Amino acid sequence: MSNGLITAAYVVAAVLFILALGGLSNQEKAKRAIWYGIVGMALAVAATIGTSGVEQYITIALMVIIGGIAGWFVAKRVQMTQMPELVAGFHSLVGLAAVFIGINAHLEMTLALAAKEAGTVAELAGFAATIAKKTALELNILKVELFLGILIGAITFTGSIIAYGKLSGKLSSAALTLPGRHLLNLTAIIACLALGWLYLDGAGLWTMILVALIAGAIGCHLILAIGGADMPVVVSMLNSYSGWAAAAIGFTLGNDLLIVTGALVGSSGAILSYIMCKGMNRSFVSVILGGWGGESSGSADVDGDMVSADADDVAAAVEDADNIVIVPGYGMAVAQAQSAVSELTKKLRGQGKRVRFAIHPVAGRLPGHMNVLLAEAKVPYDIVLEMEEINEDFPDTDVVIIIGANDIVNPAAQDDPGSPIAGMPVLEVWKARQVFVCKRGQGTGYSGIENPLFFKDNTRMFYGDAKASMEALLKELG
Amino acid sequence: MKVGAPKETASGEARVALTPESAGRLKKLGYECLVETGAGMAASFTDQAYQDAGVEVVDSAEALWKQADVIVKVREPSVEEIEAAPEGKTLISFVWPAANEDLLDKMNAKNMSVLAMDMVPRISRAQKMDALSSMANIAGYRAVVEASNNFGRFFMGQMTAAGKVPPAKVLVVGAGVAGLAAIGASTSLGAITLAFDVRPEVAEQVESMGAEFVYLDFDDGDDDSQQDGADTGGYAAPSSPEFREKQLEKFRELAPEVDIVITTALIPNRPAPELWTEDMVEAMKPGSVVIDLAAERGGNCTLTKADERIVTDNDVTIIGYTDFPSRMATQSSTLYATNVRHMLDDLTPEKDGKPVIDMEDDVIRGTLVCHDGEITWPPPEPKTKAIGAAKPKKKEKEETPEEKAEREEKAMKASLNRTAMMLGVGGLLCLGLGTVAPPSFMQHFIVFVLSVFVGYHVIWGVAHSLHTPLMAITNAISSIIIVGALLQISSGSSIVFVLAAAAILMASVNIFGGFLVTRRMLAMFKRS
Repeated sequence: MSNGLITAAYVVAAVLFILALGGLSNQEKAKRAIWYGIVGMALAVAATIGTSGVEQYITIALMVIIGGIAGWFVAKRVQMTQMPELVAGFHSLVGLAAVFIGINAHLEMTLALAAKEAGTVAELAGFAATIAKKTALELNILKVELFLGILIGAITFTGSIIAYGKLSGKLSSAALTLPGRHLLNLTAIIACLALGWLYLDGAGLWTMILVALIAGAIGCHLILAIGGADMPVVVSMLNSYSGWAAAAIGFTLGNDLLIVTGALVGSSGAILSYIMCKGMNRSFVSVILGGWGGESSGSADVDGDMVSADADDVAAAVEDADNIVIVPGYGMAVAQAQSAVSELTKKLRGQGKRVRFAIHPVAGRLPGHMNVLLAEAKVPYDIVLEMEEINEDFPDTDVVIIIGANDIVNPAAQDDPGSPIAGMPVLEVWKARQVFVCKRGQGTGYSGIENPLFFKDNTRMFYGDAKASMEALLKELG
Repeated sequence: MKVGAPKETASGEARVALTPESAGRLKKLGYECLVETGAGMAASFTDQAYQDAGVEVVDSAEALWKQADVIVKVREPSVEEIEAAPEGKTLISFVWPAANEDLLDKMNAKNMSVLAMDMVPRISRAQKMDALSSMANIAGYRAVVEASNNFGRFFMGQMTAAGKVPPAKVLVVGAGVAGLAAIGASTSLGAITLAFDVRPEVAEQVESMGAEFVYLDFDDGDDDSQQDGADTGGYAAPSSPEFREKQLEKFRELAPEVDIVITTALIPNRPAPELWTEDMVEAMKPGSVVIDLAAERGGNCTLTKADERIVTDNDVTIIGYTDFPSRMATQSSTLYATNVRHMLDDLTPEKDGKPVIDMEDDVIRGTLVCHDGEITWPPPEPKTKAIGAAKPKKKEKEETPEEKAEREEKAMKASLNRTAMMLGVGGLLCLGLGTVAPPSFMQHFIVFVLSVFVGYHVIWGVAHSLHTPLMAITNAISSIIIVGALLQISSGSSIVFVLAAAAILMASVNIFGGFLVTRRMLAMFKRS
């Protein structure tokens, strides 16, 4: 294929990617949007394979097929509730790929330089050939880009693995707070920068491998220090990193498509993180630097008792109610209760009651997590409302059912300035006539903060696994 | 102590203040109960039923007044009753102290403690004793039944083999408790129901009962001149002459259309406002019915005669009965007796059968009209406000065009300044970069910066609920890094080959997995 044709294909692919992201502005268009993405990707890969100098077709085909089958298999099998960890896991692959490609770029560069000195440049093919044409200044810039690619790639790789571990429950979700952790991070970053300087000065591959290792450690430590409640931000942040890594590699390889796509993904992840942080009223920096535990000594103790209720109490209250709001949280996802909830919704709506869902921006472990689960269970999306849309309606609500949510309905965010979540916008469920909290036990939530809501007079605790509880409730409603 | 219910002396009064059921509950409070023989007969409570509930049946009113310490009644006592009564009794009953000051003086002279059921403050804690509401509820229901009884047609529209029946059109004026009850009964009979009230905030309640709220048209579009009743304890207040004019105009417009008018408009301690005038009655269709629940206070309809059913020349029936609750004596006695029982419940905190009059208690203080030889009516302002004052509707201050222009200009300037600043700093950075970087790099840099901008603008448009699919799709797209690996795989070096192949493998996992997951997610979104 001629260079012109390849560039044309890249342009089309880039436009398709932009359309794919822009198409998500509403649900109906979104189904089309994904095809833009798929076609764009296919076009980009096909054009690249067609580039002169790219050979090894068999290996490529083999790798794509194996990888494709593996990806297909994982994606087919995964439960919708496992989405967060899946996305995190996928990010790690992109990060590692970026590291590999960065190292490759260095190897090729050495190769090209050696060839240049030996005067055998003409024999070089592909990327090495382009490098051979570069000036000394361009080579230095290349080294900077390469360094950035490896650094970000490695952080993404290990960070995503830790995020995966935390989200899937294989690692404790509590924030790890090593003494002097900020200093630790700072030292590591300075070490990386120093190594990068050495590399620019002409030091060999070892500096880059060291950078990859140190950056990997930073990634681990960064994510380990972030508490469970901040996980949605982490996932979208890692998403952003994987984009920047791709963009950095794009600079290294002089490939505009990589730059465009990487920048798109990078900025989208960054904005998502920003939206999340705003939803929690926390500054981006403090989330990234992590760690709530230990610092929150100011939170007030709560007086009073939790009063428990069983399925028939809940059923009686629900039967009397006309206006019901359901607040789902991560507990619903964990217990896979969404279809039972959907069933309940259908039944209550069938009886002419007004049932709506209130979704907090950071409910669950991913932005929009609850929407996806409810959609999976076929809850019509026009009764699923955002916090701002429904918060004013709570005083007129007869019954609120909270399913596995905790921090997002914590009144301490408004009442207790000493609380670690003070100032975070929350769903004002306590203004409703009656609140039922469906919860596994008396323990605190993911963030480890006591919730005064559970002790309020109009709150009843409906203990048990969310799915089992919802099914019991359904049975009571007959 | 003993609680006793005498037979009501007012003519036609069928209610009784003590039922066998409430007597049972009073016993648990430590009271003994007495009832005058035959007191419950008109409400279908026999002496036998009382005896079965452990109530002592007393032969005469005189004996009852003598034996009982607490007298419970429905209607205010007559002057004769008070004159015959022994000293120092406690009385719980409707009193209407504003209208019966003489009676109040007489009761005070007898050193009685009198709790007026009509004075129970309208706060949520006292709702269980709010006899006015429970009686009004019955009156509203009964008004519809009475209307139906005097109306020659169905309420509900029907298409039958014998022809089409139009639905009745009912107008309820005054959406207090009685009005709302009437609306409920009328809509459930199938009539088209309209309702009017001077307090616009009840429109929501009216609509919740299934009726249509009649709004007045004000030329200047100033809708909130329908007034706010929250500061009068939820009751209506007299309206301004202009407002009244508008209201009557609307009624005149409606009169020929409606079949049944139920008026329930009362203003505390004032004669009932005159809302349904003679000409409106004349405009009504023959066979129409007017039920005037305000007849006792002069009536909302000009032609109403208290306690009478009259038929006008154009065949409109006007009913001015004042005893609607009494016409459903069993129901109203049950509810009233329960209200009284709750009152005694609050009066007996120790549950030892001894009433304690706690002057600090808002409800008891408000209800008490005379005590210890002193007239304690009218009560001081209650500590708790009846109804949280309705938030004054925030009037969006119309800003003048100049102000608006000024504000916009200011905002514009601020945003311009910000943009200029950002552009300046960004531009300087770019310049700095441009002086050192070679043109080949700058070319890529342009692409990069533009893409970040595109990404920024595109992502803000993404719907909140689609954030997870967004993440999945960007994840899939980020595997574009495969392009880098593809470009490298054909290098001569074997290490490069292996690493590139591994990168291709990983990126492929991501491409296929990412897109498939996104598709699965998006496929689930559906509209009801």
